[in-house]
Amino acid sequence: MSAFVSTLLRYRVAVILGLTLLVAAMIVPGFVSLTTLSLGLDRGSTIGLIAIGLTVLLIAGQIDLSVGSVFAVAGIVAVMLQPMLGMGPAAVVGVLAGTAAGIVNGCLVVFLRVNSLVATLATMLIFRSIAHWMTASQPIPGTDIMFSITLSEIYLQVFTVRSGLFLVSILLLHVWLTRTVAGRNLFAVGSNALSAEASGISSDRIMFSSFVFASTLAGVAGVLQSLATNTGSPVYGSELTVAVIAAVVVGGTRLEGGRGSALGTLGGVLTIAALTTAMEFQSVPAYMQQVASGLILILLVVLDRTVRTGGKTRRKRCPRLTLFISNR
Amino acid sequence: MTDVAAMGQTTKDGARFNQGNRLVGLLSRAGLLLAILAVILYGSISNPVFFTAGNFVNVLTSMSIVGIVVVGMTFVLVVGGMADLSVPATIACGAILCLALQAYIGPVPAFAVAVLLAGVTGLVNGVLVGYVGINPIIATLGMGTIVLGIVQAAVGGVIVYGADPSSADFVKSRIFGVPMIAIIFIAIAIIGNFVLSRTFWGRWTIATGGNYSAAEASAVPVRAVRAGAFVITAFAAGISGGLLGLTLQSARPLVGQGYEFSAITAVVVGGVSIMGGFGSIPRAMAGLVFVQLLTNVMVLQGVRTPIQGFVLGLLIAGAVALDIALRKRGVA
Repeated sequence: MSAFVSTLLRYRVAVILGLTLLVAAMIVPGFVSLTTLSLGLDRGSTIGLIAIGLTVLLIAGQIDLSVGSVFAVAGIVAVMLQPMLGMGPAAVVGVLAGTAAGIVNGCLVVFLRVNSLVATLATMLIFRSIAHWMTASQPIPGTDIMFSITLSEIYLQVFTVRSGLFLVSILLLHVWLTRTVAGRNLFAVGSNALSAEASGISSDRIMFSSFVFASTLAGVAGVLQSLATNTGSPVYGSELTVAVIAAVVVGGTRLEGGRGSALGTLGGVLTIAALTTAMEFQSVPAYMQQVASGLILILLVVLDRTVRTGGKTRRKRCPRLTLFISNR
Repeated sequence: MTDVAAMGQTTKDGARFNQGNRLVGLLSRAGLLLAILAVILYGSISNPVFFTAGNFVNVLTSMSIVGIVVVGMTFVLVVGGMADLSVPATIACGAILCLALQAYIGPVPAFAVAVLLAGVTGLVNGVLVGYVGINPIIATLGMGTIVLGIVQAAVGGVIVYGADPSSADFVKSRIFGVPMIAIIFIAIAIIGNFVLSRTFWGRWTIATGGNYSAAEASAVPVRAVRAGAFVITAFAAGISGGLLGLTLQSARPLVGQGYEFSAITAVVVGGVSIMGGFGSIPRAMAGLVFVQLLTNVMVLQGVRTPIQGFVLGLLIAGAVALDIALRKRGVA
């Protein structure tokens, strides 16, 4: 019995995803179709791309609350530069803007030793201000409206460019995390930065690159979103943070660092995507959708917490996190 | 693994207690007072409107709403709870319910119910953070989303208007030229200061933030103290939201947006450590005065809103980095 329960808990992402799909299929008419799958995947890939970066960052024991703002800035840069550079180069510069944001975050946390929560809270404000400043708080239209149609074209009846990119990236992340030395080092740093340092792993470098990676991916997601909607808007991504963290946490990645998996994140993203798609089909108001994603986040974290402390000796009850490592 | 990490942390926590602290503290406080003087000086020179009674009353009024939240947020930071990000939701809860219920149960009970429900949010936050042991940022971020959604659902996602103008008159009334709202804020700040610096609860709060394990070993009810900080903040935010709603006589769901950052900025700029265990209400208030005066000068000088946000963000990052740098200097 207990073996069954522990298996269930271990693969709870799959269980939750399965339950979500089952309930959605029973309640929502017309949910079970290829179109829904394709739509849900495309919807989920925005959250998913950011979630990939955040998975890496969370495993390293850090967090980035500024991803939503970076998402907006990157998109705006990509759209603003279109008349000057053309579409492709502008998109590249947009992604690079995300990279630059990551470098700022990384410098704050790694070199100035600011707690990553506070640092990215501050940069979230700063990047959002930059987004409003660049656009004078107005949405900016892109030059080529036809390209957004190309982006949303469906291949093999299921995949769009975005969802394809997301799925390939998450598989690559899985391989990287489980099969390479660098991936293993990431877990080591997240579990205990000091011991990792003592074993000859440069914790600082890994944390820094994790920040750059996370922001770059937020940039990619932002650029794709702007191209798909042919608009750069300063308010894009403002409600993404909770959904992305929820997706990653549902996937079993620990906020304390040192634990997590790419496939888990994939499950989490699909769950959130299935849930939002189902709720949109039922025309549930946006604010009730927020309630749902908030509830899932809290419930999952509580579950994670109670299951872990229930099993082992309750030596460490203090909720202060390894995130404080950066504060030495 | 995590146990080893925990031990690594405890030693670092221990290093915070050192003689350098007092000197550094004195330095940073004097520095802030100098900064406030500099802003006042610059404001007076650059703009004739700045140094007038009317402007100062304006600053005081706008300061009051944030200030009430700052009192609560100080407890959260001192206890080592990092931040309460559910503040926009609790402010919205206070503002929306306070106005929406007026027509049914009268202004005073409506205010009480609104503040009480905001307090319940804080209780849930507190239980999640203090007893279950969830990362405060995640818990309050999640709770904020939930509460905001529920409040919006309760009123149907629309803007709510007040039904009782006399309650607005009360909030806007002045005693000897000081707005009522500012008097309420000052009273709350004084009570907060008393609790934090003169009572057992305040000592427990500082002890828990300073060294959780040591406080626990000394029979301090650490979990209740951690939870209490979030309850205090939620009540403060509820009151602040109620007053905001009464002043504006209308409340939209996003009415509280940005207040969490303003409050955190004030507390952090005031030199209260984000790591917990150190700080006081007067410090936070000094930070608040500085930030508000700076914002006021920027507004008077016609600096655009995005740039103001940019400056505030820089202030948070700068203040925390400075805090850490000073601390390091103190250790060496």
